[in-house]
Amino acid sequence: MRHAVRALHSCVLRRLQVQVQLDLPLKASVTPVTRWCRRMFSDEAHATHLDRGEVVARVLDVVKTHPKADPTKVTESASFQDVGLDSLDTVELVMSIEEEFAVAIPDAEADKISSCPEAIEYIASHPSAK
Amino acid sequence: MAASAGEVRHLFRALLREASRFSNYNVREYVKRRAIDAFHQYRDQSDPAVVDAAFKRGLQQLEIARRQSLVYSLYGPRVKSIMDLRSSK
Repeated sequence: MRHAVRALHSCVLRRLQVQVQLDLPLKASVTPVTRWCRRMFSDEAHATHLDRGEVVARVLDVVKTHPKADPTKVTESASFQDVGLDSLDTVELVMSIEEEFAVAIPDAEADKISSCPEAIEYIASHPSAK
Repeated sequence: MAASAGEVRHLFRALLREASRFSNYNVREYVKRRAIDAFHQYRDQSDPAVVDAAFKRGLQQLEIARRQSLVYSLYGPRVKSIMDLRSSK
């Protein structure tokens, strides 16, 4: 008897959840089942790359706010050495870029990034940069 | 056994990563700042013995940071520091 009540309880809850989804302002003529399937694949849908202009702006911002960088020399094609950074500062800068875009760059890749265009290229082609 | 430039960068990166794992704002900023200062202090050092000793000290400090980040996470404060809130806005 208790099992039946519990089964009924969970059935009712499941139905209630579907009804909440129906209240969302989604495009018309989509059945509840396909809407639910779309929710499950939402991770793949969001794995798009960031807009290039935004990536450029944010990377240059991170470089400019570095204490040792000369902001007047920061351009989209500048190398980090042009801006006034040495190799240790470059490591620190790449870490700041990692924090800005919430990615984890492996050491082998991070050692290769030594200029603005390389950093922009890496972030723009990273699937889960935010 | 001299540490190569790549290994030094690897150690520096490991220390910075470990710093960002601290839950306490003050300790996090201090570890970052101290790591940057310490590596810049030995940047132009050419004597390999001194460089080796500094590298070994760096490895020890990394182990300490690893242990401490764990301990700090166990006894963290309940309220977030104001500096964390400001930087996230």
